[in-house]
Amino acid sequence: MKLYVSLALSGLPIGAMYALSAMGIVIVFKTSKVFNFAAGAIGLACAYFASTLHSHGFPTLLAVAVAVLLGAAIGVLMELTVRPAKGALTGTIVTLGWLLVLQGVVGWVYGTQVATNEPVQIVGDGNFIDWGGVLLYSNQQVVLLVVAAVLAAGLAVFFTVTALGTATRAVSEAPDAARLLGIGVNRVNLVAWGLGGAVSGFAGVLVAPLLGGLDTTKLVVFTVQALAAALVGRLSSLPLTFAGGVTLGLLQPIVARALQQFDGIKGTQELTAFAVVLVSLLFMKRSGRRDVGGGLLPAPLQPLPRGVFAVATAVGVALAVLLAPLLVDDVGNASHYNVSQVAIWGLATLSLVLLVGVVGQVSVCQAVFMGCGAYGTGIAMGHGVPFLLAIVIGAVLAAAVAALVGLPALRLEPLELAIATLSLSFTADRFLYSWPPLASSDGNRPVARPGFANIDPGHVANGQRAYAWLALGIFVVACFAVASLRRARTGAALTALRSSEPATAAMGFSVVSVKLRGFAASGFIAGLAGALYAGLVQGASGAAFDFTRSITLLAYAVIIGVGSVPGAVLGGMIVTLTTLTFGSTSDVANGSQVSLTTMFTGIILIAILALTPEGLTGIVSRNVRKQPELVAA
Amino acid sequence: MSAILELRDVGVRFGTFDAVDGVSLTVNAGEVVGLIGPNGAGKTVTFNVITGLQPATRGRVLLGGTDVTRQPAHVRTAMGLSRTFQVVQLFAGMSVLQNLMVAAHRHTHAGVLVDALRLPGRGRALRQAEERARAVLAFLELSHLADLEVTSLPVGQARLVELARALCLTPTCLLLDEPASGLDPGETADFVALLAHVRSTLGCAMLLVEHDMGVVMPLCDHVIVMDFGKVLASGPPLEVRDDPAVRAAYLGEEVH
Ligand SMILES: Nc1ncnc2c1ncn2[C@@H]1O[C@H](COP(=O)(O)OP(=O)(O)OP(=O)(O)O)[C@@H](O)[C@H]1O
Ligand SMILES: [Mg+2]
Repeated sequence: MKLYVSLALSGLPIGAMYALSAMGIVIVFKTSKVFNFAAGAIGLACAYFASTLHSHGFPTLLAVAVAVLLGAAIGVLMELTVRPAKGALTGTIVTLGWLLVLQGVVGWVYGTQVATNEPVQIVGDGNFIDWGGVLLYSNQQVVLLVVAAVLAAGLAVFFTVTALGTATRAVSEAPDAARLLGIGVNRVNLVAWGLGGAVSGFAGVLVAPLLGGLDTTKLVVFTVQALAAALVGRLSSLPLTFAGGVTLGLLQPIVARALQQFDGIKGTQELTAFAVVLVSLLFMKRSGRRDVGGGLLPAPLQPLPRGVFAVATAVGVALAVLLAPLLVDDVGNASHYNVSQVAIWGLATLSLVLLVGVVGQVSVCQAVFMGCGAYGTGIAMGHGVPFLLAIVIGAVLAAAVAALVGLPALRLEPLELAIATLSLSFTADRFLYSWPPLASSDGNRPVARPGFANIDPGHVANGQRAYAWLALGIFVVACFAVASLRRARTGAALTALRSSEPATAAMGFSVVSVKLRGFAASGFIAGLAGALYAGLVQGASGAAFDFTRSITLLAYAVIIGVGSVPGAVLGGMIVTLTTLTFGSTSDVANGSQVSLTTMFTGIILIAILALTPEGLTGIVSRNVRKQPELVAA
Repeated sequence: MSAILELRDVGVRFGTFDAVDGVSLTVNAGEVVGLIGPNGAGKTVTFNVITGLQPATRGRVLLGGTDVTRQPAHVRTAMGLSRTFQVVQLFAGMSVLQNLMVAAHRHTHAGVLVDALRLPGRGRALRQAEERARAVLAFLELSHLADLEVTSLPVGQARLVELARALCLTPTCLLLDEPASGLDPGETADFVALLAHVRSTLGCAMLLVEHDMGVVMPLCDHVIVMDFGKVLASGPPLEVRDDPAVRAAYLGEEVH
């Protein structure tokens, strides 16, 4: 018992940091109803910035203060880009763009390898304080705790007594009425985002030493804990949020201890946070609280006008024609490898076209499905299953996992599902990809692909050309499958479901089964992509399927326009081209260049959403559609 | 006469408020029953309980003698139930024909794999559904609307399309929730004639919620009056109309 108490207490300081970061999220959500997924990334930027200032001779407190100002500035900039987005969900996806931008900028400037910079420590050493023989906290941790508690109390009071607090409530509850009362809605939003950014940034600066140094992913993954705490606070109550963060901090060491018996288990902290996220989302529903707003990302899907469809098909065919010589001619391994990449990332994009564009659900965990496909293939091959059958087994595993993710989606709004799936992505990075039954102990499962050298004798030793044909073939079949699914009975049910669930049920379709099938089909395609990728690089490893991948895949799908099957080809091209130009994301040595890709993806996502939520194909189709309207008028 | 639909002491409670409070009713095969009552009486909630969109807090729902209280909506649809909605719920982004085809697919079979891989059943399902949808459109003389997008329809046509979609399910019991609201007097008269035609041709039973007595009186064999979640009166249309309790409920309604 005593052991558990002291275990729990050891999590208190970091719990306070979860709470602080979560309060940044809640402050923003209270006013704008937008979920700031970039909270951890703001902390990341601020922590690195403070460290740089400090190493340039700034006094500690000044360095921290300037970094917090940076956080506020980022928050304000974010508000300006979220403002044009229609609906809470679209705004939230804009914050995903910011996550990419911030992560990209930091990686570009500082490199993605564990930084040599030391995090700023507000008070000097980490010596433990002796409390009558009990060594629980270092003096540094005590200071963190006190600072966090004082700040939390201050913010809570601030929001209850000040005019801004009242204005905030008015703006979030009835923006139009607030406008009539002369409250500057935009100004209140700006202040809230600035304040939220500052708090999240401050949390990042404070927590960096606790996380064992500056690390470009750890600080972003930190978001999942903040999300969990914010949800415990029901996205509205600052004191409850604080309590949530602290409780999560206390809980984590105990869970870690309890799971210790399973060899090689990692990421129990994120796993705990993920469980808290899921439970609070479902519980908020149960108790009838609908604090999380809806606002579906894609406008009700319009059938693509013939013009756009023709253009998109033409582009697809042209691309295929361009690719074909690469496969016929003996142009060498590298080109074949790239053709495979186009097909694989095209498949990944296609799985999102199906999920977002047809099923109408948002997933920020598509790379996790890919990872399941890859590991599933590796496991099956480990049991002697031939490669071609193994990739199907991998894809079926991914489909099962996707259906599992679809289960809570039956009850969740799209925005809530985005929260849940992003949390899953973070958790997969830390937990799933090092979980022994799935990944092997070193996180890499060999996936040999015997047979391809025989098919392509003498051409290339490892059969790259034959493999490229296989990948391309599967991609083309999958494109036709999605298109044909969409125009048939299943597609009719899915499209109907997006428009009215009660009416679809009344027409004789089971809402549960239709939705889960949609998820499973999307997971199957993503799983195939992951399996083929594992075959391409001859090994399954989580690094290629990290959270950044999930976010960028969604970003590409949104940028291109989620309603378009031919758009998936474009998605594959973009991923491959950026990989060719900047190197692969899993290639740590290339960190700085990869970060540029991440950054630009984020910038384009933000820009596109400011213009139109329908993406590039949406812009084209709107322009094509204009003409008949003019005639009719 | 055999009961197609039967409610036994059904209740629905929201928090501490009884939206439906001990309603029992029977609809026999081929019969048209009117369900009337002031706003907020619980008529729509009763519909939702019957169709399985709203779980009952107590009581039983029977379809053709089978207890379906615990069955989900799509199972009840498969057993011959069909409905329209008080607020039109057509599927946006789809044409009239596509809307009807969603319903017509109740009679087809094609799973995800069949649809995705163009296995033999796919084309047949699409063909059957389209035939059925076109036949219903022709029956209601709506064929000219087939390719229009549903959100572009005026409310009168949208209600007709919703009726057509409900008929695509080949119901044995059709539930209509205020099908004539939003129609002008001319359209309403046409609508009454149309429903009479549907009834005489298809012979399905109907449960009709309607405020307009000009629709209820000529169509219904039997009228049930609800108020505050309870059945206030029940009987032949003329008798019910002259019931003092019913008059009081409606006059009370008109005062505020
Ligand atoms: N999901 C719900 N939660 C809480 N109360 C509800 C819910 N649905 C309906 N009610 C309430 O139940 C009562 C009955 O509603 P219902 O829609 O059945 O009335 P109605 O008889 O159809 O009226 P109208 O003629 O206006 O359509 C109303 O007071 C309504 O506010
Ligand atoms: Mg009603």
